[in-house]
Amino acid sequence: MKVSAISGWLVNVSIALTALRTNLMRSVLTTLGVMIGVLAVILAVAVGAGAQQSVMQSINALGSNMAIVIPQPDNDSGRRTVDRGRLTMRDAIAIQRLVPGVVAISPQLRSTIQMVISGRNATTGAVGITPEYSQVTNIVVDSGRFISDGDVRTSARVVVLGQTVATKLFGTFEPIGQTIRVNKTPFTVIGLLESKGNSLGQDNDDLALIPISTARQRFASTTVEGPDDLHVLFVGLEEGVEIGPTKKEMIRVMRDRYRVPKGEISPFTIRTTEEFMEQSSVVTGVFQMVLVAIASISLLVGGIGIMNIMLVSVTERTREIGLRMALGAKRSDIRNQFLVEAAILCMIGGAFGLMLAIAAAQAFQSFADFPAPIGIGVSVMAIVFSAVIGLLFGGYPAIRASKLSPIEALRSE
Amino acid sequence: MTIPLLETRNLVKDYVLGGETVHAVNDVSLTISRGEFVAIMGASGSGKSTFMNMIGCLDVPSAGTLLLDGVDTKSLSSDELAEVRNRKIGFVFQQFNLLGRTTALDNVAVPLIYAGLGGAERRARARAKLEEMGLGNRTDHTPAKLSGGQQQRVAIARALVTDPLMLLADEPTGALDSQTSQDIMTIFQKLNDDGITVIVVTHEPDIAEYAQRRIIFRDGRIVEDAAVISRRLA
Repeated sequence: MKVSAISGWLVNVSIALTALRTNLMRSVLTTLGVMIGVLAVILAVAVGAGAQQSVMQSINALGSNMAIVIPQPDNDSGRRTVDRGRLTMRDAIAIQRLVPGVVAISPQLRSTIQMVISGRNATTGAVGITPEYSQVTNIVVDSGRFISDGDVRTSARVVVLGQTVATKLFGTFEPIGQTIRVNKTPFTVIGLLESKGNSLGQDNDDLALIPISTARQRFASTTVEGPDDLHVLFVGLEEGVEIGPTKKEMIRVMRDRYRVPKGEISPFTIRTTEEFMEQSSVVTGVFQMVLVAIASISLLVGGIGIMNIMLVSVTERTREIGLRMALGAKRSDIRNQFLVEAAILCMIGGAFGLMLAIAAAQAFQSFADFPAPIGIGVSVMAIVFSAVIGLLFGGYPAIRASKLSPIEALRSE
Repeated sequence: MTIPLLETRNLVKDYVLGGETVHAVNDVSLTISRGEFVAIMGASGSGKSTFMNMIGCLDVPSAGTLLLDGVDTKSLSSDELAEVRNRKIGFVFQQFNLLGRTTALDNVAVPLIYAGLGGAERRARARAKLEEMGLGNRTDHTPAKLSGGQQQRVAIARALVTDPLMLLADEPTGALDSQTSQDIMTIFQKLNDDGITVIVVTHEPDIAEYAQRRIIFRDGRIVEDAAVISRRLA
């Protein structure tokens, strides 16, 4: 009566467990090597995925579907540089009027400001905006109100604070309605922005918003040439619009306006959030690959440890191998017995490595505020991968055992 | 005419030692029939163990023919030889060769693993053989907890568990005191009476006297092959 192969493998598992228990300390140490390797690889994958997630978050924080116009030559092609362009409000209006799919424009002036209130102070980036900023970037107020058309018209001395700045200046006190000095001029805090969190170590809540007209009058006079100039233009695009053609159209409009001859580099750069995502996923992809490659070295070392200990095990048990052959074990029986032993060593290491990795990822998340997600896929991969390491590095010792001559093996001391 | 259990024709086994060829077994022709009890004797280095290893399919002859149960072993693959060892031959060794940290029951069941039997049947058959050897109450003992005689009886149970055609015992009493040796040889005689062919390799003349036929090796050749005249009977 032949029984199923499963029973045969179960016997191998039980033989392997007996052998591993016999040399418990050695088994544990060998497993440790694989465990550290698997831990390193999983953490590398998780940290890479976390970096990706973080970058995507920061790009999404910009606003999900938009383009950014910067008055700087697009030097991607590496050709000779062209002077910076002068981006003006008239360009912004032209883009809005001429390019289909544009739903809103958010012209901006940027500067660094210092804010003071009763001894506390904070230095942050101020963005001079119009109310459309909220629509284009998806930023809304948590409490109070946003910059209004009226504020822009009257160059009101009002400011909307990000959470980080608000905490620096006010601690736990209510900031709305308070008067703070911005570069020595009193401003009224009218609103508090909803938190956008951190991405890749960059604090998305460390900013202050003021009316663009106010920014122009008080802070930006030295950094722009004309009364109509802008630092940056955010262009909000219709949901579902094709980004590629829309971007091309924007480039065409700008080239037309400044009569840039064909073949010359435009003094304006236009970037879309889609491009940011693509670029950064390439960067984080490479980052992840490098991490995993480095981590794999430790798994390789773990595998070599397995091979080493399996060779020792085969040598020590040569007599047992001979005996088993005398009692009817085929070469394949002996080979499988040692393969199973190596695979079990590796899988135990893999399982502990996975558990440690999950714990480490949790610690990472809570202490370093950096996401390190470990998915089901990675977990399954880790276990399968460690079994494969077992078969790979256990393969040579196992085959060597199976090739022994029965009588030579039986005679060995 | 019935096929003999074992037949060798001009069997040779050479070893190369330090560039020189040594004929460990030199041109041995021999027939052993079913139901015989044979003692193979000789001094160490006489070739008796090498001969034994070849007829046990543990070692491959350099030349000559070995017919086992009518089958020329030269034509068998290593897997088929493993099957022959499993089904037709039961080995008993001088040092018992039991697996440490493994119970008597599991030791006896090892050959049945390679015969492809399921766990329940393996245990049932192993238990039955241990009971036949008078060790029914020692099934869960590891070798370390058994006396030498008991260990050798476990080894005999293991050799018999696949119901082989012949028992090959290499110095089975070499590690035992004389009383226990007698007990073991008595067991062999009883098994032989029940029909199994027994071949014992020994260098002790009194052990050989338990057999029916005595073959003496010297320098790789058979120098005497005769019936035991005053056979010891238990």
